[in-house]
Amino acid sequence: MIDEIRFTLNNNEVAITCDPLKRLLDVLREDFGLFGTKEACGEGECGACSVLMNGRLITTCMVPVGAVKGKEIMTIEGLRDTDRGKTIIDAFADGGAVQCGFCIPGMVIAAESLLSKNAKPTEEEIRLGIAGNLCRCTGYDLIVESIKLASERGEGLW
Amino acid sequence: MVETSYIPQTLEEALRIRKETGAKPLAGGTDLMVMHRRGTGVIPSFPWPVMIISSLEELKYIRRDGDEIVIGSGTTCHAIEDDPSVPYAVKKAASLMGAESLRNLATIGGNVCNASPKADLPVPLIMMDARVTLVSATGSRTLLLDEFITGPKETVLKDDELLLEVRIPLPEKEYSHVWYRKIGTRKANAISKLSISAAITLDADGFIQDFRSANGASGPKVARSSEVEKLLEGKNVKEIHSVLEQFLDAYDAILSPHAMPTYRRLSTRRMLAHFLTEVATGAQGMIIT
Amino acid sequence: MQQKSIGKPTRRVDAIAKASGRTQYIADYTFNDMIYAKMVRSTVPRGKILEITVPELPSGYAFISAKDIPEGGKNQLNMIKSDYRCFAEDEVRFIGETIALIVGPDRGVLQDLVDQVAISYEETEYAVTIEDGLACKGGAFVGEDNCFCDFTIKKGDVDDIFAGSDRIFEEEINTGWQEHVHLETNGAIAMPEGDKFVIYVSAQCPFYVRKSIASLIDRPYEDIIVRQSVTGGAFGGKEHFPDVLAGPLLVAAYVTGKPVQLIFDRHEDSAYSVKRHPSRTHFRTAVDKDGNITAMDVDVVYNAGGYESCSYVVLQRGVFHATGVYNIPNSRVRGRAVATNTFPSDAFRGFGAPQTLFAVETHLAHIATQLGMDPLELKKRHFLKKGDVTVTNGHIYETVVLPEMAQQVLDESGYLEKAKQYAPGSLKGVGISFYNHGGAFTGNGEQMIIKARVRLRKNSDDTVDILIGSTEMGQGFQTALTKIVADELGIELERVRYPQPDTSVVSDSGPTVASRSTMIVGEIAQRSAAKLKEQWVDGKEIVVEEEYNHPAGFPWDQSTFQGDAYIGYGWGACVIEVEVDPLTTEVNTKGIWSSHDVGVAIDELIVQGQINGGIAQSLGYAAMEKLDFSSKTGFKQTGLSDYIIPTSMDFPSQVCTLVDNPYEFGPHGAKGMGELVFNGASAAYIDAVSRAVGKEIRSIPVPPEILMEMM
Repeated sequence: MIDEIRFTLNNNEVAITCDPLKRLLDVLREDFGLFGTKEACGEGECGACSVLMNGRLITTCMVPVGAVKGKEIMTIEGLRDTDRGKTIIDAFADGGAVQCGFCIPGMVIAAESLLSKNAKPTEEEIRLGIAGNLCRCTGYDLIVESIKLASERGEGLW
Repeated sequence: MVETSYIPQTLEEALRIRKETGAKPLAGGTDLMVMHRRGTGVIPSFPWPVMIISSLEELKYIRRDGDEIVIGSGTTCHAIEDDPSVPYAVKKAASLMGAESLRNLATIGGNVCNASPKADLPVPLIMMDARVTLVSATGSRTLLLDEFITGPKETVLKDDELLLEVRIPLPEKEYSHVWYRKIGTRKANAISKLSISAAITLDADGFIQDFRSANGASGPKVARSSEVEKLLEGKNVKEIHSVLEQFLDAYDAILSPHAMPTYRRLSTRRMLAHFLTEVATGAQGMIIT
Repeated sequence: MQQKSIGKPTRRVDAIAKASGRTQYIADYTFNDMIYAKMVRSTVPRGKILEITVPELPSGYAFISAKDIPEGGKNQLNMIKSDYRCFAEDEVRFIGETIALIVGPDRGVLQDLVDQVAISYEETEYAVTIEDGLACKGGAFVGEDNCFCDFTIKKGDVDDIFAGSDRIFEEEINTGWQEHVHLETNGAIAMPEGDKFVIYVSAQCPFYVRKSIASLIDRPYEDIIVRQSVTGGAFGGKEHFPDVLAGPLLVAAYVTGKPVQLIFDRHEDSAYSVKRHPSRTHFRTAVDKDGNITAMDVDVVYNAGGYESCSYVVLQRGVFHATGVYNIPNSRVRGRAVATNTFPSDAFRGFGAPQTLFAVETHLAHIATQLGMDPLELKKRHFLKKGDVTVTNGHIYETVVLPEMAQQVLDESGYLEKAKQYAPGSLKGVGISFYNHGGAFTGNGEQMIIKARVRLRKNSDDTVDILIGSTEMGQGFQTALTKIVADELGIELERVRYPQPDTSVVSDSGPTVASRSTMIVGEIAQRSAAKLKEQWVDGKEIVVEEEYNHPAGFPWDQSTFQGDAYIGYGWGACVIEVEVDPLTTEVNTKGIWSSHDVGVAIDELIVQGQINGGIAQSLGYAAMEKLDFSSKTGFKQTGLSDYIIPTSMDFPSQVCTLVDNPYEFGPHGAKGMGELVFNGASAAYIDAVSRAVGKEIRSIPVPPEILMEMM
C-alpha cells in the first residue's frame, strides 16, 4: 500500500508518498537526503539513528514512517541550527567528545533530549541519559564531561 | 512479499480491518520492525498484512477503575514509568526495558502480545494476577494474563481480536514488601537474562497473608506457581528460616532446566532468600533491594 | 596531567563537522548509476563446493565470482601473505567465506536473489578450537601440521635453570575472540574512472588496498586509485579486511562498468569479519628461594582461522611481549599460529600483545599469591630498566618510569590499604597490572618494508596541505599531525589542512597501524615542515618530501628474531577496584586508575580520550564480550543485542595520569599510544575479580554466569 504521510521535519511541513512500513531512518536518509542520522546496528541497540519525535528520543531504524503521521521530527540537521544545538556541538568539540564521530549525532540528539528534561543533570543522570547510545572509541567519559559543559554554558537555554 | 498495510484512525476501524483482513497490529514496532527487517533501504517484509496502531489515542490511557489500575495497550513504557498510580514492580520493570528510545516507542500491548520468554512487563503483571481485555468487532472477553500467554511467543489472541487493555488488581491490603530485580546482559540497554518480581503481605502479628513471586527469562513463559507460594502462607515471618530451604527447592523446580541453569537457578535462590530474610529480620520500607 | 605547550588541548579539526552531522561517511555517498552488491558466502565451516545454482537474474543484475576474474588476473588478495582468495572456488575454509557478489540496482531484489542462491557442499570434519587445529581435525589444510608459522626465541638457558629449580609454577591461560564493533560497519564503493578504477573505502591503509587488489585485474598499482572515506572507527578491523570488500567490488566494477557499493549491515560485520586471535599461553616459571623469577618457558598458540593474513606478525608481537614488562634472566618463548575453520583472525588494537600481556600479568599474580606476597611486590621486583636485556636479546634504551607510574596509581587508588582490607573472597577486590607496547613496526619493518615518506605542499595562498596515506579513524592523528606541522612552521592551525588520502595524490607514509603514526610519521612530518620553512616563499607553491631515517645502533636480525625488536615502548600501569554482587555475581567496577608513558602527549585531551576508550574496550574484552563459534552462523553472537559491549552505565569515570618521558626519536618526544592503552586493563580487572571471589581465573571473558560457576 502506498500512502501519503504528512509530518513536520525540522520545522518544515513535509509529505512523503511511500509504503507506510518503510523505516523512518531510510526515509530521512534517502528520501530527504538527511544523512546525519546514521545506521550502525539496525536493531535499536546503538542509538546512532536517534532523532526527536515530539521532543522524545526515538531510534528511527525501528519506526515505520506511517507511525509519524502528524508528528514533529527533529534530526541533527535541524538541531544544529538552534542555540541549544550549537551549544551542545561546541561543548562536544571543546570537551574532546568526538573521536571517529559516528555515534556523535545520536549523542547530540540524546543530550538535547536529556537537557530538555533536566537542565542541570548530575554525572549519573547524564550516564543514564546516554545509556542507549553506544560508543566504541571514547569510553564515554569525555562525552559525559562535554554534556556537563553544555549544561553549564547553556544557562537559561533549557 | 506484497502485503497491504493500514493506518486505522479509530479503534473501531482497526477492529473492522482486523476482522476483514486479519492484519496484525504494529504499535511501537520495536519487536516487529527488527524481526522482519531486510537491511538498509529495503522495506521490512511481513508475511501478513500489518496495521500501524501506534497513534490510536483510544489505546493510550492509565486510569483507576474501582480497585484496578487499567492501562491501555497502546501506552508506552515511558508513560508507565512516569505514572505515579502504576504499582512499583510494573513501573520498575518498564523503567529497565531497553533504553530510553525503546521506552518511548514500545508499548505494554506489544510486549505482552509478543510474549517473548524474556519479556520484562509480564513478570510483575503475572505476579499481580493482571488480566487482559481482548476486543473484537463483535465483542470482548477478559482473562488472566497468565492464561493469555501460553508459551514462547504464543498467546490465545484470536485472528479478529486486539488487546485493548491490561487490568491490574490492586491488592486489598497494600503489599508489605516488594522486590523487583532484572539481571541484564550489561548494566543498561540490556535484554533480560533473568528477572524476578516478588511481594509479601504480613498481618500485624507477622503472619504471612499473601506471598507471590514470578520469574522471567526462566522458561517458556513466566514461571509462577500458587502451590509453591502457599508453602509460605500462614507461616509467621519469624519462622521463615524453618521453611526456607523447602520453599526454595520447590521454587527451583518450576524453573527451566535449559540454558545457564546454574546461573539462573542460583541467582533466583539467592534473591528470594535475601528478600525473605530481609523481611524476616524486620526490614523497614516497602521496597527491598 | 603535565602541561607542555604542544600538549595543550586544541579543538580537533574534524569535531564540529562530525558533531553537526555534516561529515559524510561511505554509506552517505551516492553516485549516478550506482548499483549495489550483496555477498554470497559459504554456509559451512569446511567443504568442497559441489554445485552453485544461481537463480535467473533480471536484467541489470549480475553474479560475480571467480570466473569473472579476467585473463592475467589472480584470484587472491595480497595482504601480508597472499593466501586469502578473493572468491572461494573449489573449497571453503570457514562459514562466511566470500563466494560471489550479486550486483544490481534494487537492494530488496538483491536480498531475494541472494536468498535464492543454492550451494551444495561436500562437508568435511572441521577444526574450531586451538586444540582442534593442532590435532589437525578433519586433516591439516595448511602444511602438515596446520601451523602457519612456528618459531622460538631464547634468552639465556632455561633448561639449565629448570634442572636446578625446585619451585616451578605451571599454568595455562586462555583468551577468546573479540569483535571490533567499530560503530561504522565495513563499506566500499568501486567504479571505473577513465581507464583506471577508483575505490572509496572506509579503511586504515589505502595503499594496502590497492596493493592487495591490483593483481585481480592484472593492473599496476597506479591504475587503482584508493580514496579513504572518513572512517567511523577501525581498531585494526579495517587494516586488511577492507580488501575483502574492495577485491570483489573491483571485479564487479570491471565487469559492469558501473559504480558498485557494498556496505555491511551489523549482522554481517559481526558474523563475517575478522576478529582478535583467541590465544592459549602455557607457562613454566622457575622461582628461586628468594622469590625471584629465574626462568620462564612460554608456549604461545594463536587461533588464526582459515587464512594467514597478518597472523605471523601478530604472533611475533605476542611472543616478544610474552614476558611483559619484566626482566626475566632466562626465557624461551615458542609461538605458533594454528589454522582452523573459523573466520580469519586479524589485526585488533594491541595486535597480539594483549593476549600474552594478559597471560603473563595473570600468571605472575597467581605466583605472587602462592608465594604469600601481593602481586605488586613480585612485579615491581622484576621491572625492566634502562640497559636491561630484552626477551630477544636486545636492550631497553629508554628510562623506564614504571616505578613512578606505579606510585601514581597506588596513590590515586589507595591500592595498598584496600589490598590489605579486602580479604580474598570478601566480594571486594583491587587488582593491578603493568604493561607496555613496542612502538611502530617490529624490528626492521620501518626501514626495510615501509620506507615511509611525507609530502607537504605549500599552496600559493600560503596554506599547507599534508599529503600522506596515513588515516584518521577516530584516534586523533589528523589533528595531532596538523598541530605538529603548524607548530614547526610557526603558522596558525587553520592554515594547515590534512585531506582524506587519495593514493594518486599522496605519498605512502605507511599503514596506520602499530601505533606508529605519531612516532614515525610525525617525526618525518616535523622534518618535512622544517625543510619547508627553510624554503618558504610567500605566494609560491612548493612541495617538499622527506623519508624515514632509521636511527643507527639498534641491531635486528629478522631471520633469527634477535636484537632490538622495538626501539621505544609505551608503558602503562592500571589499578581497578570491584565489588561483586552476592546475589547475582554481577561485578560492579568501583574505580579505574591508570598512568601512561607515551613520551610526550601531542594533545592531552586526545590522549585522554584514547586512554578512556582503550581501557573501556579492554574491560569489555575481560568482562562481557563473549563470542562463541556457531556451526550455523559462524559466530553465535551476531548483533549488538547479543554481542555485549559496554554502555555509559557499565563503568565509572576513570582517573588518568600521564608521565613525561620524552622519546629521543619522536616529534616533541612523542611515542605511540593507540594500542598501549588497550593492553593492561583486562588483567587488572581480572586480578581484582579474582581476589574478590577468592578464585584464580585463567580465561577471559568472564561474564557473571561463568564467574558463578567458578565460585
